[in-house]
Amino acid sequence: MKTVQALGIKAPNSAILAENIIKNGADDGLILTLSPGSEEGLENIAEKYGFAFEMENSDKQVVVRMTKSQAVELDVTGETCPGPIILVGDKLSSMATGERLKVKSKSSEAIEDIAISIPEMSGKVVEKGTDDNKSYILLEKVEKTTSTSTAVANRDKVLVAQSNGIGNAERAYATFIFSKAALSMGKKVTIFLLMDGVSIAKKGNAKKVKHPAFDRLDKLMIEVIEMGAKVYVCELSAEFRGMKQDDLVKGTSLAGAATYITLLSDPTYAVVNF
Amino acid sequence: MYEEKVKELKELLGLKGSPVAVKLVKSADEIPEGYLKISEKKRHCEFVQDARLTGNKGYATSDEHMCKGGAGVMGIEPLPVSVASGKMYHQLGNFETPEGAQETVAAIPKSSENYYASIYSPLESAEYEPDVIVLVITPKQALRVSQAYLRAKGGRISSDYSGIQSLCADAVVAVKERGVPNMTLGCSGSRKYAKVADEEVVIGIPPKNFVDIVDALKTFKGKWGEL
Repeated sequence: MKTVQALGIKAPNSAILAENIIKNGADDGLILTLSPGSEEGLENIAEKYGFAFEMENSDKQVVVRMTKSQAVELDVTGETCPGPIILVGDKLSSMATGERLKVKSKSSEAIEDIAISIPEMSGKVVEKGTDDNKSYILLEKVEKTTSTSTAVANRDKVLVAQSNGIGNAERAYATFIFSKAALSMGKKVTIFLLMDGVSIAKKGNAKKVKHPAFDRLDKLMIEVIEMGAKVYVCELSAEFRGMKQDDLVKGTSLAGAATYITLLSDPTYAVVNF
Repeated sequence: MYEEKVKELKELLGLKGSPVAVKLVKSADEIPEGYLKISEKKRHCEFVQDARLTGNKGYATSDEHMCKGGAGVMGIEPLPVSVASGKMYHQLGNFETPEGAQETVAAIPKSSENYYASIYSPLESAEYEPDVIVLVITPKQALRVSQAYLRAKGGRISSDYSGIQSLCADAVVAVKERGVPNMTLGCSGSRKYAKVADEEVVIGIPPKNFVDIVDALKTFKGKWGEL
């Protein structure tokens, strides 16, 4: 799906441009942002190429969608948090800009959670409602906008600091479940295990933690590492407990206080403590 | 990559200079091996002309881009406020009202993403796939290129320009973002500093159309005898 800004181009040139773009490669659709009045003739172009035509007026702009594909549907009924957001994140990442995803659930809270998170996930809400006793949200994949101002940092990374360890299973689980959700939302995730938190990274320890509703902790940890999370283990806390690099599970590495302070000081990180 | 086709194009149209391969990259890692930072601070349109007429190759970051309007629309640095607001062009006398200036600059094609640098090379010796191929040619040559582009699927070409920010916004950004050719008549800067000649116009074309255009020109030559 091609997305093109063509402000200031008047009709009929806007229609000539649109047809040219479609013929030269936008076979699966085109979204044009035009100046008001320039949409004249575009409905005929959409019809000629078998596209559905949709128009949205906003402040000083007209957005015209000429698309072939219908919204992809995803039913997340029965999924518990953060399952729905992970499924939506995974689906959106495989979609092209302009494509739409209709997410359904019997849980209106799950749909609301998605509505709040979606601007952080290269998506926008097109429509919300109910359908067949289920809440739904229609999402559209959009280009992720980056700030050009040096005064505003993009907080696109998450630092999860874990200081409780396997002694507190709920916090240990939360470390990786939240990380998984953040990764699915397209965030970069760094986990810093410190104090008792380092016990999670000791070989064999996480295998002992299993809640009936969740996967075993070590499996969850491996999954998050394989998804791209960086896991640091506080060198001082490890030393305090007689742990060396060889004692740590694969994919985790010792790091000093400077690393932790640097991460905490980086304004692009949102910090979560468990 | 395009050596043979450029040779054919030059012979078919009798081009002065070379088509220019322009690419925008997001990081230093994407600069092709052997390409050096351009040592002289100049404008984008001058970099294009240098590649076209003297065979220069290299890349330019925001430090090397003298024309901040050009670098701004290409996403290499933020567009200066005075340009983005239209104030500069209104003060220069291009527009009767600030509103007219504002409407015009709002419509100038701008990169939807941010970039680290722009890379330039004559197309025949470019060691990278360009985003856009820029041709500085005569109106008659532009006519033949337009006819050649339309040979495959027919239709019409819609070119748009406003007489400001031409080799950057019209010939590179518009073409890269839309994926179709655009012709522009140049701007004051490209005529004055980059010495785009009075008898020349500028066309940006997507690389995916280049070979077909050359082949169509060859067909025309066969059928028409001369171009």
